[in-house]
Amino acid sequence: MPQGLSNLKHIVVLMMENRSFDHMLGGLKKKYPKINGLSGNESNPDSAGNAVQVSPTADYRGQLSHDPDHHFPGVDVQIYGGAPFTPGRAANMQGFVQSYGTQSPNVQDSHAIMRYFSPEKIPVLTTLATEYAVFNGWFASIPGPTICNRAFAHYGTSFGNVDMNMFLVSDADRAKIPTIYERLAAGGHSAKLYYYDQPSSTMEIVNLIKDQSFFGIFSDFVADCKSGNLPEYSFVEPNYSDHPAPDGAQLLATDQHPDHHVLAGDNFIGKVYDCIRINPDLWKSTALLIVYDEHGGLYDHVVPPDCTPDGFQAPEASTGVPGLTFKFDRLGIRVPAILVSPYIPRGTVIAGPEDPANQRIFEHASIPATISRHFLNNNDAGTPREQKAQTFLDLLGDNLRPDNDCVFFPKAMKG
Amino acid sequence: MAIEDAPTVDTIDFDEKAAYNPDRPISSLIRTQLLHLHYAEHLRIPEKERTNTNINTLHTERQASEYIQKVTALLHKHGKKAAKGRKPAKKKSAMQKAASKSKKQTKPAQKKRRSRK
Repeated sequence: MPQGLSNLKHIVVLMMENRSFDHMLGGLKKKYPKINGLSGNESNPDSAGNAVQVSPTADYRGQLSHDPDHHFPGVDVQIYGGAPFTPGRAANMQGFVQSYGTQSPNVQDSHAIMRYFSPEKIPVLTTLATEYAVFNGWFASIPGPTICNRAFAHYGTSFGNVDMNMFLVSDADRAKIPTIYERLAAGGHSAKLYYYDQPSSTMEIVNLIKDQSFFGIFSDFVADCKSGNLPEYSFVEPNYSDHPAPDGAQLLATDQHPDHHVLAGDNFIGKVYDCIRINPDLWKSTALLIVYDEHGGLYDHVVPPDCTPDGFQAPEASTGVPGLTFKFDRLGIRVPAILVSPYIPRGTVIAGPEDPANQRIFEHASIPATISRHFLNNNDAGTPREQKAQTFLDLLGDNLRPDNDCVFFPKAMKG
Repeated sequence: MAIEDAPTVDTIDFDEKAAYNPDRPISSLIRTQLLHLHYAEHLRIPEKERTNTNINTLHTERQASEYIQKVTALLHKHGKKAAKGRKPAKKKSAMQKAASKSKKQTKPAQKKRRSRK
C-alpha cells in the first residue's frame, strides 16, 4: 500500500455550486495542454444562427443575473442542441446559448453562457488544480439540478429523482441504501456534515430531520482542524446566502452559485484548504476533494458519457422531456474536481474521455464509493452505480512533498 | 520545515461591502431550501413552537436566511430532545444497525407523506 494511503486518516469533501469545468478551469489548457479545457474555438449557435465562441471574459458577478437553466429539460437542450428525444440521438453540446436564450432579454445576453474565467482571476481554484490533481472526467451524476445531484454524494443514488423535490425514501430503499454517514457510524467510524451556519443551513434537509448528530457548522470545522479532532469523513457545505452574522458582520455567500460573487467562493476554498494545510499532522493524513455539484447551465464542451444505471427510473412526467423515461444511464455535465494531498505529485491530470485508452470517469457516486472502500473495506450497501464507480485514493503515492513544496494562501485564513 | 516555508499565493481582494447584497432576490435553490425546511418544520416541530411563517412572503436572501436560521435551530432542538428520549439499541451487526436506524427515523416522514396525498 502506498504511504499516502496507509497514512490517510481523514477525507474532506467540499462541494460547491453550479459551475462547469470549462467555465472555471477551461482556461488552463493553454498553459497545461493535458488539462482538457478550451482551445478557444468552441462555439454554440445563438437564436439568430450566429456562432458564439467561448470567451475568457467571465466576471465575478453581474453577467448571469438570470440563473441559467439547469433543470432536466434545460440540460437536455444543452446536451442535444435542442433535438427532440429519439432513441440514439447524438449529443453535441450545442444547446447552451439556445437554452439561455429562452431566459435572456436579448440575443446578446444569451452569449454570457459561453464565457469562462481566465485562470488568474480565480487563483485558489486554478492553483490547487495545477499543484495537485485535477480530474478531466468528473461529471455531475444526473443531467439535472442541485438536490438530486447532491444526493449521489451522500447515498450514491437519488432514489429515482431528477429534480429539486424533497425526496422521501421508502423504508425498504433506505434500509438497503443508508447514507454514507450512517454506514460509517455503524462501522464504528466518525463522520460529519458541516454546513456554514444556521442562516445558511444545509441542502441535506432529509438527513437533518433524520439525525442531527451528523451535523456541525463551519466554525466547528475550523476548530476541529485546529485541535486535530476532525472526523474521519467530513463533508463541507459553503454559505448559500448573503446574510448578517450574529455580531452584525456582513457574510457573503461563498457557494459560487450564479450570481453570487465568485471570489468569495474562491477565498472560501482557500480557507478550507488552509485549515487543513496549517496543521502539520492533519495535512499529512488528509485528502481534500473540491468538487461542484453540477454545471449550473454553463457551457462545457465534453459530451457526458453513459454510466451504470442505478436501478431506478424517472418517468416522462419527471424528466419533462417528451418521450424520455430516464434510466440513470447517462451522467450529467462535467464539473471541476480537484484532489489535494501532499502525497499527490504536482501537475497530476487524471485522463477523461479525451483519452479513451486511459480514461477514468468519475461522478458523485465516486464519493461514497471511495469513503466506503477506504474506511469500511467494502461498499456492499451501495447501489449498482456506486459499486461500479471509480474511486480516487489510488492517486495518493509514496512520496510526501515537503512543506516548501506545498502552497499556502495566507490571506484566505484571515477572511 | 513548517508552514512558514510554504510558497504563498495571494487570494484576490475585492470590495466585500459593495458585493454584499442581502436584498438580492432568492434563487430557485434557496426557494427550494425554504420549501424543504417548511415541510420539515411541519413534520418535526410541535404546532405551538412553529414559526407560522408564510414562506411565499420571503423574497430576499436576508428574509430567507432569517427563516432558515429559526427552523434549523428548531430542528436541532427537537432532534436532540428526541434523541434523549430514545432507548439505547441492542447490539446488532453494523449493517443491521444502519438499516434499523434508517427505518425508525424515516417512518414519521413516510406517514406524513401518505397523509398529505
